[in-house]
Amino acid sequence: MNAIEVENLYHRFADGTVGIDGITLMIRKGDLVVLAGPNGSGKTTLLRHLNGLLLPDRGRVVVAGIPVSNNVAMARQKVGMVFQDADSQIVGETVHDDAAFGPENLCLGKVEINQRVQSALKKVGLLGLSNQRPHLLSGGEKRRLAIAGILTMEPEIVVFDEPFSSLDYPGVRQVLGEILALHHSGRTIILATHDLEKVIAHADRLIIMNRGKVVRDGLPADIVKDVEQFGVRAPCAIRTGGEFQSWMS
Amino acid sequence: MDELTAFGFYPAGSLLHRLDARFKLVFLVSISIAGLRAEWLALVTLTVFAGIVLLVSRRSLFSILIEIRYFIVFLLLICFVRSISTQGTCLIKTMFFSITQEGIRDGILISWRLLLVVLFGMAFIATTRPSDIRAGVAWFLKPLPFIPHKKVATMIGLVVRFVPVIFNQARETANAQKARGIENRKNPVYRLVRLGLPLVRRTFENADKLALAMEARCYSENRSDPDLSSGVHDWFAAVVVFFLCVFTIVL
Repeated sequence: MNAIEVENLYHRFADGTVGIDGITLMIRKGDLVVLAGPNGSGKTTLLRHLNGLLLPDRGRVVVAGIPVSNNVAMARQKVGMVFQDADSQIVGETVHDDAAFGPENLCLGKVEINQRVQSALKKVGLLGLSNQRPHLLSGGEKRRLAIAGILTMEPEIVVFDEPFSSLDYPGVRQVLGEILALHHSGRTIILATHDLEKVIAHADRLIIMNRGKVVRDGLPADIVKDVEQFGVRAPCAIRTGGEFQSWMS
Repeated sequence: MDELTAFGFYPAGSLLHRLDARFKLVFLVSISIAGLRAEWLALVTLTVFAGIVLLVSRRSLFSILIEIRYFIVFLLLICFVRSISTQGTCLIKTMFFSITQEGIRDGILISWRLLLVVLFGMAFIATTRPSDIRAGVAWFLKPLPFIPHKKVATMIGLVVRFVPVIFNQARETANAQKARGIENRKNPVYRLVRLGLPLVRRTFENADKLALAMEARCYSENRSDPDLSSGVHDWFAAVVVFFLCVFTIVL
């Protein structure tokens, strides 16, 4: 069963630049899909169509059987998005407030909101920092808070836009651990990155984008050798003739 | 880690943090209005009260003064303009202007009053969650006809949320320019233009990112509001503020 269906998607920006150029793809429920490509290849633009932050000029995006354009609110609830810049995603004045922001927007009751917040903060290991100011958190903690903020909305699909950018090694491991935990809980994960090294070992599928188009799509082992011709560095293990290695091991 | 600005909510469990946002809004408006009529003794009293409020809210007065140093420069400018534009006993006379005793007096009074309004406002923002401010404003506007209370309250809540973003941005931009030797340029207009233009552009960019993030999490004016509830301590504080305002006006 498909979690997301993208049909002949086309998006042009106000300045005339083509962001997405006729993409069609289906994403199966429960998959961990890595979307790779150089800067400006259209990864973020594609992700923003999945929850209606951008609407297509042509084509359509269908989430859980319903076109996003017909019900943007539903799409935003079903598709949680963790942005590249965690700072820009923090809207609450405390860790607890920030995690509660989403469920408050869904007009849930106080008890339900508190339960969801406690549960989400516990999952990402931030329960002890509930009253901390988010700006005082480390980079990895901010990213985990962004994940908690999405978890409180209980999405079926979680989209990550460059989740490892500007994180140190422990930060990458923490965030990768959260992503894998979400995947193991049955959620569909779509992760955009130009750095395959950190996540490729866990991917079910690899999609390479270039100039707004999908140029490769398949099993990571099958297409990873082609990535360098599209401006994406192949993982070290592949360059040295080895196999994918997990950053969690 | 980011540095923080003085303009934002500081989570703590102080008495001021526990007060109902609606009471605090009334207190802020009442003290600000009463302060507009305050003379010397009343201003001293209000200043002492502001110091106590900031102490109770667990904010350092020194760090706040550092944060508002540009505002203090603005107040000094008001003092100066007032001192040369008010008729009265001449203290200093130059070829272009003369400074009067009455002008200096008026300038100090006006600046002091404005400074107090800002200090009380900062104490209010530091001790009240933006969501509580929004809910408080909506509560006051609800009985008024033809006013979309939720929309207005949402706008006020967003302004409160964006102020720290702007100040953070200003600090980052200023630091980046210092790193490239802006301090060697002594012309204040040049420095202001160099700071102002990128600051406005980057503030809009950041505001855009924040708006996208809020939109992605289903933000709208219809959302679960925090429960506002008043207690004995709110009414006790109301009595204190009432007598302070009366005292300020009478003196």
